[in-house]
Amino acid sequence: VSNKYLDCETCFCSSILSLPSVILSKTLPSFFMLQVNLEYLESKLETVDGEEVQRIQDNINSLFHHCVQALGEEHQIKVVNALQTLCALFRGVHQKNKSASGFDIINMLMGFDKAEQRMKDLMERLDSLLCGDGSESLKSLCLKLLLCLVTVTDNISQNTILEYVMINSIFEAILQILSDVSSRGQHGYDAVVLLALLVNYRKYESVNPYIVKLSIVDDEPTLDGMGMVVHQALTEYNRQYKDKEEENQGGFFSTLTSMVGSMFIADADEKLSVQTNEAILLALYEAVHLNRNFITVLAQSHPEMDIAATPMTPTPTTPTTPLGTTPPSLDMMNNPELPLDPNLLTSNLLITFLKYASIVMQDTKDEHRLNSARLCLIILTCIAEDQYADAFLHDDNMNFRVNLHKMPMRHRKKAVDKNIPSRPLVCAVLDLMVEFIVTHMMKDFPMDLYLRCVQIIHKLLCYQKKCRIRLHYTWRELWSALINLLKFLLSNETTLLAKHNIFHLALLVVNLFNMFITYGDTFLPTSNSYDELYYEIVRMHQVFDNLYCMVLRVSTNTGQWKEAASKVTHALVNVRAIINHFNPKIESYAAVNHISQLSEEQVLEVVRSNYDTLTLKLQDGLDQFERYSEQPKEAAFFKELVRSISLNVRKNVSLNTLSQDVLLKEFSTIS
Amino acid sequence: MEDTELEVSPTPSDQNSPSPSSSPSLSLPSTPSSSCAPPPAATPPLGVISEGVAELSLFIDAEVAQRACQEVLQKVKLQQVEGDVPSQHSGAKPVPNSPPVALTASGKPMKIREQEDDPEGLAPGSVKSARRRQRHNPSKQSWLLRLFESKLFDVSMAISYLHNSKEPGVQAYIGNRLFSFPHEEVDFYLPQLLNMYIHMDEDVGDAIKPYVVHRCRQSISFSLMCAWLLGAYSSDMHISTQRHSRGTKLRKLILSDELKPAGSRAHRDPLTFSLIPFYHGLSPSKRTHQRSKSDATVSISLSSNLKRTASNPKVESSQDEVTDSNSSLDSLEFETVRLAPQREFIKSLMGIGKRLATLPTKEQKTQRLISELSLLNHKLPARVWLPTAAFDHHVVRVPHTQAVVLNSKDKAPYLIYVEVLECDNFETSSVPIRIPENRIRSTRSVENLPDCGMTAEQRAGSFSMVPNYDNDDEAWSVDDIGELQVELPEVHTNSCDNISQFSVDSITSLESKDPVFIAAGDIRRRLSEQLAQAPTTFKRDPEDPSAVALKEPWEEKVRRIREGSPYGHLPNWRLLSVIVKCGDDLRQELLAFQVLQQLKSIWEQERVPLWIKPYKILVLSSDSGMIEPVVNAVSLHQVKKQSQLSLLDYLLQEHGAPTTEAFLSAQRNFVQSCAGYSLICYLLQVKDRHNGNILLDAEGHIIHIDFGFILSSSPKNLGFETSAFKLTTEFVDVMGGPEGDMFNYYKMLMLQGLIAARKHMDRVLQIVEIMQQGSQLPCFHGSSTMRGLKERFHMSLTEEQLQLLIDQLVDGSMRSLTTKLYDGFQYLTNGIM
Repeated sequence: VSNKYLDCETCFCSSILSLPSVILSKTLPSFFMLQVNLEYLESKLETVDGEEVQRIQDNINSLFHHCVQALGEEHQIKVVNALQTLCALFRGVHQKNKSASGFDIINMLMGFDKAEQRMKDLMERLDSLLCGDGSESLKSLCLKLLLCLVTVTDNISQNTILEYVMINSIFEAILQILSDVSSRGQHGYDAVVLLALLVNYRKYESVNPYIVKLSIVDDEPTLDGMGMVVHQALTEYNRQYKDKEEENQGGFFSTLTSMVGSMFIADADEKLSVQTNEAILLALYEAVHLNRNFITVLAQSHPEMDIAATPMTPTPTTPTTPLGTTPPSLDMMNNPELPLDPNLLTSNLLITFLKYASIVMQDTKDEHRLNSARLCLIILTCIAEDQYADAFLHDDNMNFRVNLHKMPMRHRKKAVDKNIPSRPLVCAVLDLMVEFIVTHMMKDFPMDLYLRCVQIIHKLLCYQKKCRIRLHYTWRELWSALINLLKFLLSNETTLLAKHNIFHLALLVVNLFNMFITYGDTFLPTSNSYDELYYEIVRMHQVFDNLYCMVLRVSTNTGQWKEAASKVTHALVNVRAIINHFNPKIESYAAVNHISQLSEEQVLEVVRSNYDTLTLKLQDGLDQFERYSEQPKEAAFFKELVRSISLNVRKNVSLNTLSQDVLLKEFSTIS
Repeated sequence: MEDTELEVSPTPSDQNSPSPSSSPSLSLPSTPSSSCAPPPAATPPLGVISEGVAELSLFIDAEVAQRACQEVLQKVKLQQVEGDVPSQHSGAKPVPNSPPVALTASGKPMKIREQEDDPEGLAPGSVKSARRRQRHNPSKQSWLLRLFESKLFDVSMAISYLHNSKEPGVQAYIGNRLFSFPHEEVDFYLPQLLNMYIHMDEDVGDAIKPYVVHRCRQSISFSLMCAWLLGAYSSDMHISTQRHSRGTKLRKLILSDELKPAGSRAHRDPLTFSLIPFYHGLSPSKRTHQRSKSDATVSISLSSNLKRTASNPKVESSQDEVTDSNSSLDSLEFETVRLAPQREFIKSLMGIGKRLATLPTKEQKTQRLISELSLLNHKLPARVWLPTAAFDHHVVRVPHTQAVVLNSKDKAPYLIYVEVLECDNFETSSVPIRIPENRIRSTRSVENLPDCGMTAEQRAGSFSMVPNYDNDDEAWSVDDIGELQVELPEVHTNSCDNISQFSVDSITSLESKDPVFIAAGDIRRRLSEQLAQAPTTFKRDPEDPSAVALKEPWEEKVRRIREGSPYGHLPNWRLLSVIVKCGDDLRQELLAFQVLQQLKSIWEQERVPLWIKPYKILVLSSDSGMIEPVVNAVSLHQVKKQSQLSLLDYLLQEHGAPTTEAFLSAQRNFVQSCAGYSLICYLLQVKDRHNGNILLDAEGHIIHIDFGFILSSSPKNLGFETSAFKLTTEFVDVMGGPEGDMFNYYKMLMLQGLIAARKHMDRVLQIVEIMQQGSQLPCFHGSSTMRGLKERFHMSLTEEQLQLLIDQLVDGSMRSLTTKLYDGFQYLTNGIM
């Protein structure tokens, strides 16, 4: 692009805003043959002040109108320029009028009386561009324009123009992009992000057609396509993380513990950021939450893609980078046949998601990571509540090795990856929960995440109880993690109570034990495991004793926690019965046999021979749980999350990505 | 031996009614006696029937042959020499004795016939002299005519004459006669027919072709079956001759799909249409492209209308109409699609097998198999079927998580279960509509309960709610474990199980505030009881994934898969299974299947209670195919490895104490099947009999599988396995030891079996002999295959001598060290116990 050319455009752009509209409307149709100087147009719009705005409104309206018209042009260069101009208009007008109401902005862009028609035309044109056989770059630009439009306001629900996007749905176009292998490869990411954002437009206040439509999609290739895009993005992150980890491992022994934290701060400018995946995670959540058919996609097997062997070749045909992330390696997505690499392990979206969650949940100090971790747990909650999902989580025929990432800690060795047995997927979920429980007992206690964690375990247990599934899982690890958690709550009672209702969490934990105690016969894998449960409780009786003392103390005092604490005292009845029953028996056994320290086997023996004299109380509602519902509890979280995503997307859909030389080259040869 | 004669051509002959009902399109009078006068135009001499004519028009060929044949026979009638043979009385008698053409052509087999069949010493001399007369006398044809017209003339004989006769007229006549046999009967001999077509001279080929072509026009499955067999049996030819051979040409003709039903069907035929979904599967990218295209058109036509994505069945059907009209436009492209879906289906199954073979571990293979099959599922339902099934159906789903990789060292055979919907005719019935995977109201709560006393009706009752899902509200009702909890009491009040009573308590106790107490001891006891109660399953072993899958009782598996399937509620839902073999030549297996099947029907006919289980074989090419798995059976190897018990102890564990009815019946089954397979092993010289190749079914039968080494071929390690059949002390122990009654019963069964078999030896020999033609199969190696086989029927021995022979064989096998050695050898080399 020559300088001379640029000057010419700049000149034209300024004239757009100054010329009388009558003259303008005559010159505009040919205007789109020229490339627009977007920065100039945008900044020019920002600088005009109040009165001038009134003056140029007609010009802007006219420009908008002609832009929309030009989208139907055969000359693709015109279409490109029109799309870019529209983008600049949306942004410029919004930035200028940040405080203005949505209606003023609509008026300024299109004029009230014509707005409906203009937007209808715009959306229809975009729809046919997206669905047509045209250039892929054009489709990409259309999506950028839509993303740009959707994210012009910080709070998506205040973006009044989106009402027109609700009325003139482009949902079908998005679906089509996702269902087609090649278009999914190139635009899938943007399409999924766009969908996730649109679904969140006034989701609590009005009927959002995108929500309704998303909830009833049942076309498997499309849903699969959506799953693939999410899978791809998360896989990419996992792979980069792994590479990074291996790279850092070299000289990092001294500061292993700080590695995770520093890794992201130090490389803030790199693309490896949790933040960029918030949008993808949100899309996954909406799909899992809204669409029952999507659950099957979670289990849809794909070959493992996070193998370093697949080189990341930037494909020259796609000039745009989706939202600043590295584009998912396209050859993988383009190839629906499973590749023939014997080293490839089979994977599925759920496995990838679990791995991703294991990385994200390692460190929750950063706000974005905390959000992501929370969203991961919310998604897992939805999964644990879904019967179909539970069925395949527990399917004995679907065994996988899932390498979860574990936080390097001083007191434990990093598990060797290869030794992970192939098990039903629910084991990986449980492992992840246990891992979270043992690694986040810190001053800045993530209470919310802990609650979700424990509830997920509870829901899985309920399913196992109902369906008599005897999972061969090392329940002992879970038990000791839970007991340690209780211990932590006890020792930090005062600091934690200042911020959290620790009794609620304690109640949930104790009730997990109650599940095992009263319903163990329905889902424990061996008779021995029931004995081990008692052994573990008796062994750690001090924790339960202390907990009982504490909750008894609080519940006898008057105070805000009185009721919560007294619930825990009731819940502890069976645990205490067990301790009170077996402890004397064990002591007398030791005394009789003159053994100071009983071995595990000896204790188990005592336990086995003394069951019959122990009576337990059946507690109500142990296998009942509150179903997840987004509203009202989670609404605030999602509002904030969407705001954060909007900002991030807006930042990344820069005008630069819209006006690339590549584009121009491509179309100048066409025209 | 007295009755032998009468029963020589015994197959139920009623079906051989002369009316050619099976060939309506050809007005073929199937019996020459029918007074239809030859068409005035042509009375061509026999010589006219030539390949050239056949190439021009397939059907003219048939008629020409027919006419020619009639002509010959008519002449014979006119001559009316010797008013011999009081037709009613002994009409059948001379039949087997005097196939004069065969005699002149290849006398050897016929001589044996003569010996065996010659009954009551009815003057062999006179027969011979009669034959001698016939040789110089055109009247010999009348013998044939009588035979061919007789009700006793069955497919087996037809095939035999086709093979042995050198007379083009006779061959042509039999070619036409084929039309009058029931399809199933001819289908059994299809390998023989096609092998003759490929490897014998032109006259035989010309005689067979019209029938094959006719059947191909009628049926897709017959077409494909022919194409596969033609390919497989042509493969032993030299590559240069193969390309131009008759077999290859016919195969091409069939696969080009020019043999569409005559009177071409309309394009809007539902058949061509519904093939498309699968046809798109040909090239996945193309498929999605096409599909999304139609999506696009739909989405535009119904733009901003929820319908497009709705799952409401009504909408689905309306959506179908849209696609329907779309595809009717497309249908021009899909003209040749008649055979395509099934071929693609088979091709993808084979592709999976090939890819699995590249993976090193069983675990990887299993995972890969599951994921590949889940992709395959996307293309189902389609107009595809399992050729091993006995009824018409469409495949709707492959429950991919149930598939298992079978034990094999370097190849990757695998077993899949296939959900099908039975239909009247898979070619014309419409293909079922796809139901999304998770659209099941799972009754899983019931599924995993160790059968807590629910009766079948109760179960059916709980199952009958499934069809409701079609209702829209139902489909969208939240389907989760929360809801399950509410359902649970209903389900469980039906059961008499104390545990479920317990969970009912837990819910009812919500209402009554009285505290409920439970004894910890009860919980613990229930836990161990339930664990003990669970039916004996095999432990999951990543190195032997098939053991668990095969051990599960078939009925149980069917119920389980049905409950998990979105199609399970449909009344015509069936579960099938198939073993996909890739890289293995199944032609010998097919031969063995035919022989077993033949012997089975012989034994049934002779009322000898020997038990064998021929399993169906589908030969797809010379190195791929499918096998119908034997259900409810695990290999002796798996039994021993998993149970660590001797065979007798295992049977006692599975069936009960030695005096119980259950055990005794299992023991009887064991003996009867042992006798059957001992004979089979002896007659066919089945080798490689290690415990991995012998199955034990849930009723106690043993079943031999893997007939890779039969007749003249044996594993390379010579010196092993010299005994006649495998009879280990373990087997004898199950039979109650060598002195027991059951053991004597075993030997008696073998004697009876052998006597019956040799009575009908021809029917067995014929199958093998025809397949030897042009074959390079190792089982035909050397020149003595047929002679050896015949000798093992011991035609010359008296029954007393036969009994002695059986005793010797049994003794020899029992004492045989080599069997033991062979097992040891297998354990060392293949890890088979």
